[in-house]
Parts: sequence; structure tokens; C-alpha cells
Amino acid sequence: MLIYTLRRVVLFFPVLLAILFITFTFGFYAPGDPLEIQFGEDYVLDEEVLARLRTLYGLDRPFWVQFGDYVWKLAQGDMGEPLRVGRGKQSIGEMVLEAFPVSAQIGLASGVLLIVIGIPLGTLAASRQNTWIDYVIVTGSIVGSSIHVIVLAPLMMVITVLWLPDFLELLGITWNNRIPIGWHGLFSTRTILPISILVVTGLLGIVRLTRAGVLEVIRQNYVRTARAKGLFERRVVSKHMLKNSLTPVLTSMGLTLSGLVTGAVFIERIFAIPGFAGMGINAFQARDYPVILATTMIGATIIILANLLVDLGYGLLDPRVRYE
Amino acid sequence: MSERAVRATTIEDFEEVKQRSLWLDAFERLVRNKTAVFGLFVVAVILFLAVFGSVLAPHDYLETFMRSGSQPHDGPTINWPIWESWGTDYWLGTDKVGRDIMSRLMHGARTAVFAAAITIILGQAIGITMGAIAGYFKGVVDDIIMRIVDVLFSFPDFLFAAFLSASIRTPIVKIIGDLKQQTGWGILDETIFIDYIILFGALAMVNWSGTARLIRGQILSLREQDFIRAEIALGMPTWLIIRKHLVPNAIAPLVVGISGAIGGILLLESSLSFFGLGIQPPAASWGDMINTALPQWRLYPWEVLMPGILLGTAVFGFNYLGDGLNDALNPRQIRR
Repeated sequence: MLIYTLRRVVLFFPVLLAILFITFTFGFYAPGDPLEIQFGEDYVLDEEVLARLRTLYGLDRPFWVQFGDYVWKLAQGDMGEPLRVGRGKQSIGEMVLEAFPVSAQIGLASGVLLIVIGIPLGTLAASRQNTWIDYVIVTGSIVGSSIHVIVLAPLMMVITVLWLPDFLELLGITWNNRIPIGWHGLFSTRTILPISILVVTGLLGIVRLTRAGVLEVIRQNYVRTARAKGLFERRVVSKHMLKNSLTPVLTSMGLTLSGLVTGAVFIERIFAIPGFAGMGINAFQARDYPVILATTMIGATIIILANLLVDLGYGLLDPRVRYE
Repeated sequence: MSERAVRATTIEDFEEVKQRSLWLDAFERLVRNKTAVFGLFVVAVILFLAVFGSVLAPHDYLETFMRSGSQPHDGPTINWPIWESWGTDYWLGTDKVGRDIMSRLMHGARTAVFAAAITIILGQAIGITMGAIAGYFKGVVDDIIMRIVDVLFSFPDFLFAAFLSASIRTPIVKIIGDLKQQTGWGILDETIFIDYIILFGALAMVNWSGTARLIRGQILSLREQDFIRAEIALGMPTWLIIRKHLVPNAIAPLVVGISGAIGGILLLESSLSFFGLGIQPPAASWGDMINTALPQWRLYPWEVLMPGILLGTAVFGFNYLGDGLNDALNPRQIRR
């Protein structure tokens, strides 16, 4: 297992280099001069000034030299400067350091909540199959995940901030709700809405897979044996049923992660959270290629690492898995 | 004598049994499914709005209406076109530059349906071609196409579409500018038209991979069957075999998936427009309407909610119809 892990980690670098190369090529050959993007398309500079700026930023060098230089600097931990000028003096590294922890906290919190809520709900639905509990859980998660974030988020804001206080006032409760916008740390009340929306929209996959997995093992002989020998129901479920039905759920965590990232793009825009996903989409919009490169690379790193963790997790859940 | 009698009865029997076609059966199964009927209803309404929306709309969706004193806050009364509230003139009010929201919603339906239709056609065409080529020729061609498909699959749809539509904007604007200079066609001046082209291109590029994978699998199994071998032996041209015999046989599972796929495309279109990467103002798109209304959600909640509710209902409708069609056309499939 150690050798397997090591090999995966070593393989990670060429994959990352390939991703970097593709993104860099896109950035290099994509239409639109970086300087033109920087100064705006209408802003026509003197040719001589442009040439000097190009030399200054090293944009007149050949493709391979620029790519090599970029990778070398990256290896030293320098991600370069964003293209936009006159708006803050932060380097990309500083931008990432500021934005990434915010997104990571939201993402981790939603991921943990997804598991903590999704797996018990799926198990409950399976063990009460074809009763109203089952229908409510399945239908609820289908409805929750089919409403898009750009629809759900404004709706929830309007309901909780505008309508709920009015409704509570009718009941004689005064509750002055604040606007749930901005970032004030993970444990402020303002993160409740964004995180719960991320959880609700991602719930379907995990509930459906847990339910299917549990249904598959619920009539197996060893479960019957476990019951017959008098184990507590709780122990049957947690030790015998869940452990055997969680492999597909684990496999889907990669998909869940990519869902969280995409969801975070919208959530961070709507709730004005200064996070990593928002930084990436802003770079897309501004065609700020150094930032696009950096965000793509970090995003790819996270996804590759998550996949590695998932593969290693199989061994923990299922001892029959052998790493070669 | 007896022979004739037998023949007569068989014909009568044959006439008495009502003929049942595959499509009639499927339609009856569809109608019996309540959620599918709801989906059908919603889809019908959206299609109706898309076709006749601009005729029925009470106002022009681009026209701004200036009214004095309709400012939301107390202040000097000036000609400020913003936010007429609900009333008989503007059924759902006007937006922040005084455009009638209802007319824009109707036009948004057209954008959405247009986007879905063209993207599906383009995406399926690319996907079928790629899948057929990969499945028929196998080997290196197959490897290359399928690796591209794998990469597309592992990347989140929305981010890829955003990247594409952001990066192809400049060249397309340039090409269309050149075309305009050469031909002098007036339509090329419209920014709305350019937006549509960019958006459809980006969405189609995202949507072909699933189709390609499906078609490839079908063709891989079909091409080993005897009737294809017979055609190869008879010397039929390769492209004719693919076009006339392989693709028509492989295409059936696609039909079922299309209605479900439309829901996804509606969402993608709105998401892109929400970030200003798809349809941009002044053109009307539900996603863009949500985006422009979002900063004022506390003052004008309905302005944010209405396009959202419409979008959500439309997606539900298409998905339900897709599920219903799936069940109706594959009755043997066990529903879970």
C-alpha cells in the first residue's frame, strides 16, 4: 500500500505538468493580447510603449521559454502577478492565500454535513423502503437537487430575510434577520444559508447511492445472521450493512466534490463571499490568464488528491481491495 | 367452401382487433403517468411562449419606459425609468432600466428554447459523427476521440462552457466583423445575434461527449453483425454503411435522452448568462434577468424570483417529460 501511494504521488507531477501545459497553451494562443486585456480594447497605446511593456513582462520571448520560466517560478512557489493593473497590488499567491481558506472552509463544512446528513437519510429510506418516510426522503432530495443554485439561493434569501420575520411577527415573535451576505468566519450566522444550500443541492447523489447500497445488502444472509445472533439493530446497521454498502458512495465523492466546486461558484457570487471559486470565475470573465492558470492548477491538484484519497479509502472500507 | 369460411373469419377477426401501434401504446403509457403529463403541459406552455411570446407580449422587450417620480426612495422627482411596480400597464412591473419584465420573461422563454433546440441539434450531430467514426474505425482514431471524451467528462460542464464562451468571444466577434465588412448584412451588427452564436457554440461543444460515447458503444456491437459484414462484402462505400445502416440503428437510445438533456441545457444557458458569459443584455435570458435583479433583491424580491421560478418549472417540466418518455418507450425497463 505504501508503494502504491508513493507511485500515485509520483505520477501526480507529470499529470499536473500536462494540465499546466494545456492551460498555458490556451492562454498563450488564445486571442487577445494580455496587454490589450489589461488596458482595455479601446485603449490604444503607442507601439513603442507596447513593445517596451512586452519586453518588461517577458511577453516577447518564445513559447517554450515562457512556459519553462513559468514552471520554474511555480516550483519556487511564485505564481506570478495578475494581469489587471491599478486594482490592488496583490500577487496571485497572496490572492490564493486569502481566498482559498474561505472556500476550503465552506467546502469542507458542506462536505462533512453532506456525509453526516446524507448517509443516515439514505439508510433510513432503505430500511423503511416503500413507506412514506422513504418517499419523503427520496422526493425531497430530488426536488432539492433539481432546483438550480441561482434559483434556490435568491429564493431562500427572500424567504428567510423578507418573509420569515413578517410571518414570525404575526405569531408575536420579533426577529430581525440580517442580510446573509459576506464572509465573517465559518461560525457566523451568515454561513448558514450558503452552506445549507450547498448541502441541499448535493444531497441527492449521496442519498440515492446509500439507499441503493443498503437495499442491496439488507437481504443478504450475513445480515440475517447478524440479526439472528441477537445483535442490536444499531450494530447490525453500522457494522454489517453500512460498511458494505458505502463503496459506491465513496466512489461518488469525486462527483460530489466537483458539484460542490460548481455550486460554490454560484454561491460565492450570490452571497458575495470572497472565495477561491469566485476568484476563478472572475478570472474567466476578465480573461486574466495568470490567475486562470493558477486556479486551474490548484483545482486540478485538489481533484487529483481527492481521487487518491478515495482510492485509498476503498482499502479501509473493504479489506478485499488489494493495491498492486 | 370451408376454406373460404375460414379465410373470412380470419379477416373478420383481424379487423375486429384494433390495431395498436408502438407510438399509440407509448402515448397511452405516457398519459397515464401523472408527472409526465405535468411535464408535457409545462413543455407545451414554454414552447407556446417561445413561439408566440413576442406577439403576445404587452410591450417590446427592449423598449425602456421613462416615468417621472417612480423612484423607489424618497427624493427629488426626476425622469427615472426604474422599477415601475405591478399594475395594469406592466403586469409584472419593469426592471431597473424600465423594461417590461413580463415581455422579457416571454422572450427569455424563446432564448431558452432556442438555445436548447440548436444546442441539442449541434451537439447530437457532433456526437453522432464522432461516436460513429470512433466506433467504426476503432484503433488510434477511437483512442484519440475517446480520450477527448474522457477529459470532457472529468471536467465540470459549467466551468468548461464558461471557459469556452469566454475564450471564443473575441475571435468570433472578429470573424463576424470581417464578414460584415465583406457582405454588409445588417443582422451581423446585432450583438444579440453574436451572443447567440457564441453561446450555442460553447454549449454544443460541452454536450456532444455523452452522445459520442453512447453511439460508439452501439456501433461497436452493431458492426460485428452479419448485415454489416454483408455490406462490406458487397463493396458498399464506408460512409454509406455508417450513414444508412449503422447510425439509424444506433440512434434509438438517444431519442429518450434528449428531453432530459434539454433541462440540463436550460440550466447551463442560464448559468452562463448569470455570469455574463452567455446572453448579455439587452437580450433577454432568465439567467441574466436573475443576475441583474440580484443586487436589488431586498427591494424587489419578485424581480429575482420570477425568472427563477420560471426556470425551475421549465427544468422540472423537461425532466419529468424525459422520465415519462423513458418509461413509456422502454416499458420493459423496471422502474426503481
